[in-house]
Amino acid sequence: MFDDQSPIYRQIADRIKTEVLNGTLSGGDQVMSTNRYAAFYRINPATAAKAFQQLVDEGVLYKKRGIGMFVSPDAREALRTRRRESFFAEVVAPMVAEAKVIGIPLTDIVKRINELEEHA
Amino acid sequence: MNIVADGLRVDYGTVRAVDGVTFSLDGGKIYGLLGRNGSGKTSLLSVLAAFRKQSGGTVRVGGRPVFENADVTRDICLIRDAGETVDIGTAADALDFAEWLRPNWDAEYAHALMDRFALKRNANVKAMSKGQRSALGVVVGLASRAPLTMFDESYIGMDAPARYAFYDALLADYMEHPRTIILSTHLIGEVSSLFEEVLIINRGRLLLHERSETLLARGTSVTGPVAAVDAFTTGLTVLNTDRLGPTKVAMVYGDLDETSRRKAVEAGLELGPIAMQDLFVRLTDPDPATLNAPVPTEPAGEVR
Amino acid sequence: MRFPSRLLGAPLIYTAFMWAGFYVLVALITIGVAIFGTLRISGWEVATQIPRWLALFIGVSLIREFLPLYIAHGQTRREFGAQAAVTVVLYAPAFSALITLGYLLESLLYGLLGRPQTLTSVHLFSSPTQVPLIFTEYLVQGLTWMVAGVLMAAAFYRWQAAGMLSLPFGIALVVLGESAIGGNLRLPFFTSALDFDLAPSVPMALGVGLGCLLVGLALTWPIIRDVPLRNRVS
Repeated sequence: MFDDQSPIYRQIADRIKTEVLNGTLSGGDQVMSTNRYAAFYRINPATAAKAFQQLVDEGVLYKKRGIGMFVSPDAREALRTRRRESFFAEVVAPMVAEAKVIGIPLTDIVKRINELEEHA
Repeated sequence: MNIVADGLRVDYGTVRAVDGVTFSLDGGKIYGLLGRNGSGKTSLLSVLAAFRKQSGGTVRVGGRPVFENADVTRDICLIRDAGETVDIGTAADALDFAEWLRPNWDAEYAHALMDRFALKRNANVKAMSKGQRSALGVVVGLASRAPLTMFDESYIGMDAPARYAFYDALLADYMEHPRTIILSTHLIGEVSSLFEEVLIINRGRLLLHERSETLLARGTSVTGPVAAVDAFTTGLTVLNTDRLGPTKVAMVYGDLDETSRRKAVEAGLELGPIAMQDLFVRLTDPDPATLNAPVPTEPAGEVR
Repeated sequence: MRFPSRLLGAPLIYTAFMWAGFYVLVALITIGVAIFGTLRISGWEVATQIPRWLALFIGVSLIREFLPLYIAHGQTRREFGAQAAVTVVLYAPAFSALITLGYLLESLLYGLLGRPQTLTSVHLFSSPTQVPLIFTEYLVQGLTWMVAGVLMAAAFYRWQAAGMLSLPFGIALVVLGESAIGGNLRLPFFTSALDFDLAPSVPMALGVGLGCLLVGLALTWPIIRDVPLRNRVS
């Protein structure tokens, strides 16, 4: 179910973030309870709760006492902003480094990006 | 139900199976008890369940001594391979006695579990396969709803689908009826995600007691060119190393702070987590020659 | 303490079925003898050599099966001990009642066949219709054999092979009980070696039965009071 590359709670948090980003979960939506997450992924509920707590701390989710967890209205926008900020550091920089190692000129990359943009 | 063991010893004649084990469990969680064969797991659990009297030290469950204390033992259920709770005529007999003797017995749930594991009520337990007998033990253990429920390698003989049915049922019932659960197992890879805390015992002694996350965070695999790995791991506790040509993998045990993690990445090293199963194997390795440094045996102090 | 309905019920149901089967078997054999040979003696009297072994076996199963079961289900050894003692005390009369019933049914059968139901051994009773005496005899037998089974099983459960040291005590209980009800015991060595020459009487039989019960329970308690459950199935 999970890869071993990062703690399970972080993987759950990432999955929920992805769902918020791609619109599967919208602002105001209720997310499944920790127990349902725990049962679904066969993990200790405390681990699932930790993922939720992380998302609450980051402002992606908020808690309604006695009802459950909901997606913050501005969660998607906040996540997009944060991803945009880290995009160049986390996506572009490693790509450029990789291109250098294997000998792809940067002009080729730019050309390819332009092609993709035209097709889209 | 909190459980406190202090200097617990179990002797069999001149053989010391449990050698001064001290720990404190808050209760209300799922605990994993890990240890190699003969490490003293069964002896330890047997004392917790008052199946046997300790040879020394104390054990308290809910603040009270356990042995021959009816108020405490009625809240404790240990299911072992020895099959005390099932080796009694037919499966129906085993369930009838459990219902008679267990204050929180849920007969309806027991029925549902019997169906889930495809067990026949009129089947003679002695004629059952090993896996069926284990599954019946699981049914008795879960439906007893004891505030302290322990399973000592209760999966023996069960095939993979049955084992996962067990894990799912255990988890679901634990969430619905929170209680203290201790699982001793060798199939760490299958169940480690269920543990909130882990205790590892080795040769009768408690090697560590940690939150699962803490234990997992403490293990890091360092992969890269031999020289770089060696330079980085100097002074760290290395549980194991492997070489594949010019590449070396070292299992580092201990907390790595952000600075050293960054340094590792800058040195071209790849850092990764280590599965609980691998950590367990290395931490309990009987051959100390494979260790570059002694295994730290942190007390469980930081576990709340 | 709860009444040990399950602990008592399980062996009682088992015993009732065994008795029914056994009675039918004995009756068929007697009828066979009546048809093809000469039936002079009580077949049931001969057959009652066997049920006492069942009492012993039930005593053994209390320790071998039910002691681990009860402890594993959170009962204390003390609780189990009390329930087991009550079980022995109540099982024996039921055991005796079934054997007594066997004699009565046989009387009917022999009456129908027109045969004499002659007894051949020494008993508390001299006729197969003396219900109170028959009941007393097999009550004492049931108590002593069962408690002997409990004692020896406890010793074997705790000490494995060294439990053999309990055999003389168990056999002594059985021999004493048998002597008090007529001395009709066919065990190798002991019948001749320990030939108690007691004139059977009801008070003495009851006294010996009760004494054996108490001694047997008293010897068993120190063995099981802190007995560990075995780690492996043996």
